[in-house]
Amino acid sequence: MSGTGLLPEAEREALAADYVLGLLDARGAALAADAMQDDPALAAAVAEWERLLAPLAVLAPSEAPPAGLWERIEQRIAPGRAGAPVAVRPSWRTRLLAGWAVGATVAAGVLAAMLAGQGSPAPVMTVLVSDRTQPAWTATVAPGGGLLLAAFPPVSGAPEQPLAADRVLQLWGLPQGATMPTSLGLLPPGQRSVAIPVPALRPVAGMLIEISLEPPGGSVLGRPSGPVLFIGRLSQPGPPF
Amino acid sequence: MEDAALEALLARVSLGDQAALRAIYEQDGARLFGTALGILRDRAAAADAVQDAFLRLWQRAGQFDPARGTARTWIGSVVRHAALDLARARGREQPTDDPALGDRAVAPDALDRLAASADGMRLRDCLQALDVQHRGFIVLAFVHGLTHSQVAARLGLPLGTVKTWIRRGLMQLRACMT
Repeated sequence: MSGTGLLPEAEREALAADYVLGLLDARGAALAADAMQDDPALAAAVAEWERLLAPLAVLAPSEAPPAGLWERIEQRIAPGRAGAPVAVRPSWRTRLLAGWAVGATVAAGVLAAMLAGQGSPAPVMTVLVSDRTQPAWTATVAPGGGLLLAAFPPVSGAPEQPLAADRVLQLWGLPQGATMPTSLGLLPPGQRSVAIPVPALRPVAGMLIEISLEPPGGSVLGRPSGPVLFIGRLSQPGPPF
Repeated sequence: MEDAALEALLARVSLGDQAALRAIYEQDGARLFGTALGILRDRAAAADAVQDAFLRLWQRAGQFDPARGTARTWIGSVVRHAALDLARARGREQPTDDPALGDRAVAPDALDRLAASADGMRLRDCLQALDVQHRGFIVLAFVHGLTHSQVAARLGLPLGTVKTWIRRGLMQLRACMT
């Protein structure tokens, strides 16, 4: 695994190996675990070392756990004690969503107002915003279940940042409750509106739609490997005000 | 347990299914308790580590990513890190000349036990290609959670030498495995 990451490859490899072997002290291990949330390349390197060294586990002989241990575990997870499982999202997603909540509410309100009075039910849609909370794309569920993407015109006076020649935009859907997104395909370069007739996932209200920056051909990890540039959650706008 | 079965159980745990967590405990508990015991060498502490690990599984099962490895490996690593965290919290006070470790320490021939799986056989071959001390270090660190300084004391070597060895040994291992 190489490429995008917050650490140079050699350092990342060494940190991942030391973490998996258990050589780091308490502070180092906590920092590494934290960094993995933000650095997919580090998380992938750790997973790779875990996979390589996993067979060593057979060298520790199995031994029956003490009686009553399951009951202790059960007490800790009983309803009302520990609560339901928490789906911990990677923190970049949380950060982008925090911005999305502010930027998208305004933009969705505007769009809902535009769409109202057209005689048809409001479509399920979202505004995909960047981490600067500038709306960049709209994603709208077509009546047939497809997904329509349209880029916002660039803000007047602000030059649009061109995409690097060796990078592509990849579209992802994350159903509510899921922890891993599914690829919905690559966006053709340079197009300002894209129709995806039959997405890999049926787009419904509540689903997160993301666009990430990826190497040519898209992510090979089955999830975004580059930064998520735009994000929004599909919803059915209510009547405007 | 079959990995597909474990994976299905994890998926159910991520949805809050307590019976699925119990099934993992009943079918894999002895292996996982053995892992924790290898690192902590104390039954009460190992039980605490397994309890912590199952709480982590309960809360984080949804983070398991089959693209990155098997469910068995992932569950094993959750238990190992819970045991390592507990060992760190206890200041890793186990002396390196711990007689219990002497009894339990992994003999180099034990590497043949790795040959039970294809991945294990490849790892064994690559470990055997390493210098015997590099190999011993990696095994002691993984199975018994020994730190650099504990290994240095155990082998009677300067700390810096051990740190250099582990780095070199791991990189050689990595090159052999890929």
